Amino acid sequence: MDRIKEVLNKFDMEYVEDYKSTWIKAKLKNKNDLLKVIESLKEVGVKTCSTVSPTDFIDENRIEVNYFLEDLFNKKNVWLKVDVDRDLEKCEIDSITPLMPSADWHELESFSTFGVKFKGHPNLRYFLISSDYYGKFPFRKDFDWEAHEQNLIENINSISDEFFEDYEKNEKTIGHEESKTVLNWGPTHPASGPIRLKVFINGENVEKIDADIGYVWRALENLVERKDFVGSIVAVERICFMDNPNPMICYSQAVEEIAGKEITPFAKYMRVILGEVGRIASHLISAGSFFGTMGLQTFLMWNLDIREYFLDVLEDYSGARIATASIEPGGVRYPLNDYKAWFETIQKAIDKFESVKADIDDIFIKNPLMSSRAKGNGIFTLNDVEEYYLAGPIARASGAKIDVRIDEPYAAYGELNINYVTCENGDARDRLYIIYKEIMQSIDLIKQAMKKIEEGIESGEMNPTKDHLIRMPRRMPAGEAVSRVEWARGEMLMHLVTTDKSTSPYRLKMRAPSVNHTMVLNKLISGKTLSDIPLLYGSMHICQGDLDR
Amino acid sequence: MLFQITEKIIRVLKGVTEPRIAVKDVVSEPAHKSPIFRGRHEVRYDICTGCDACNKICPVDAIKMKPLPIKRPNKVPEVNLAICIFCGLCEDVCPTKPEKAIKLSGGNIEMLTDGTHEALDNFWVRVNIPDEWIENKKREEEEKARKKAEMLAKKKAEAEAKKKQEEAKNSNRANVSSKPEKGEEK
Repeated sequence: MDRIKEVLNKFDMEYVEDYKSTWIKAKLKNKNDLLKVIESLKEVGVKTCSTVSPTDFIDENRIEVNYFLEDLFNKKNVWLKVDVDRDLEKCEIDSITPLMPSADWHELESFSTFGVKFKGHPNLRYFLISSDYYGKFPFRKDFDWEAHEQNLIENINSISDEFFEDYEKNEKTIGHEESKTVLNWGPTHPASGPIRLKVFINGENVEKIDADIGYVWRALENLVERKDFVGSIVAVERICFMDNPNPMICYSQAVEEIAGKEITPFAKYMRVILGEVGRIASHLISAGSFFGTMGLQTFLMWNLDIREYFLDVLEDYSGARIATASIEPGGVRYPLNDYKAWFETIQKAIDKFESVKADIDDIFIKNPLMSSRAKGNGIFTLNDVEEYYLAGPIARASGAKIDVRIDEPYAAYGELNINYVTCENGDARDRLYIIYKEIMQSIDLIKQAMKKIEEGIESGEMNPTKDHLIRMPRRMPAGEAVSRVEWARGEMLMHLVTTDKSTSPYRLKMRAPSVNHTMVLNKLISGKTLSDIPLLYGSMHICQGDLDR
Repeated sequence: MLFQITEKIIRVLKGVTEPRIAVKDVVSEPAHKSPIFRGRHEVRYDICTGCDACNKICPVDAIKMKPLPIKRPNKVPEVNLAICIFCGLCEDVCPTKPEKAIKLSGGNIEMLTDGTHEALDNFWVRVNIPDEWIENKKREEEEKARKKAEMLAKKKAEAEAKKKQEEAKNSNRANVSSKPEKGEEK
């Protein structure tokens, strides 16, 4: 940490200060120094860019660009801020993509939503929004949504022109030599989800993959700004339903940090249980759809059956299976009136999984056909993890010891017994194995948390009907917070900005892992054959919900 | 022969009385029923205070307040089920105790609609208030208002009487003529 501070202090900084246990927060005065700062940070080991998050301060006529830079293996992170001018012509900053490839799509996203031009970016283009998007830069505070909607309704028929242009351009550039062509994999492919992969192929060999995203872009980060602090949870949870409670934990932590409140131990353990149940529900689908992409749907059906029992757990607690809205700033939303009955439901779900486990092991995990296709296919090394910031299970499959639950313990994870789960090879098969191992780990964590709650209630320290929620202030003070959780598919980072006496968030940036996992597809699949696309794509456990937001 | 016929008749009769295989109504009896399942809303107009809290918190603007010709509640919530996301925040903020005036938990799972545009337009939780209840409430309110007015008038009269007395006392003590004051009163 001291070395990073030394490096930062060499430059003209407004302030350099500690933030939480693993972060250093700094503000750069001159935006022209940015590249030099990044270069010298790289020398001391901070090699990864987690995300780029601009904040539009319309009253002060500036846009503050926040860089979240991480040293993944030594757990030292830097939060770097730079001011840029708000006027569209002067709104420019140097691109850090040539130095840190992991910033690529995050910079494109900032450009498309805030209009911050990144000088020197290899391919600066409109991303998420289409090139004929009316009004441009939707997350700026002065964007006119009504005029945009009006324009959209009037010109609804001319929007599909882009596809024809694309087609004609491909006809000209690719030519008719060899058997080169462009395949559209998705957005309605059974294994793809709402994403379009433009696959440039020569015969059966894949030359390049270009992902076209934005099919389920709901501008959640902007929707949050229109709701109050409690109502925001329904926008936050819609980032992806497969693992539902964890995004709400992340958001609630950020709000609690700004309000300066500490939640009760009971609520902390409840968050652990709900989060882990969500993780299992997500992992079961991930593992099932990995086989699904290979054409074997049986495993997915089995997993959906097991998943129902885990959804019952969520339903018994919150009253809904998928969109639970079960965690809000200040704790968890509902009291636990009959904790024994709820624990029984959890036990039932765990028993169900364990009764099928032997069969799953024999039929699917040791499946020779799967092994022959997935073993040694699509390998990520530790360098790739650092360069492209692969997160969560994908990174751990390559042997990287990264887990926010251990690195920066939140909720009650600091008091539980938890270890890194890793695989060694980093191929597609390991990315299935790691999922399976993590389900076991989650079940273990749930059991530990259940025991702690039981002990707490019996000794009278916890009151399940009253401790679930603490009182939060209606109006928040001005502040800024960064909160991270280990989501089912990797690290989730939320950057929340509030103004004084506000009733709704001023800006919320949600960083989700699927962005980086989709970004790296080109590197992963280029040079492979056509039949590898579904397999490798399925092994990345990508969800378009958190890719587009 | 006769025995066989009677046996068959008895068998058929048994079949009539025995329960059929498809007796379970899966629409109203789900495989797993949560005690606080967030289902179709129940709006209790008789305890609603018309405070508008549910309308304000609703993150998707599914609630519309129906105005009433009475003072309390002067409006009651109606929910558009085609927009509602069943987050249950309206129930959380409802201030009535011990029972909530708008309630989802333990609610009805039956929510079937054709899915056509017209059907979705009419897919609402409506509050049907009988006219008699409104008339009653109106009468009660009028009664209350009358009583209140009476009380006010009484109080005013008392206050004035007191004032006069005091004035009279003052004028007596000071022995100053009170003609101009009387003139003002007229």
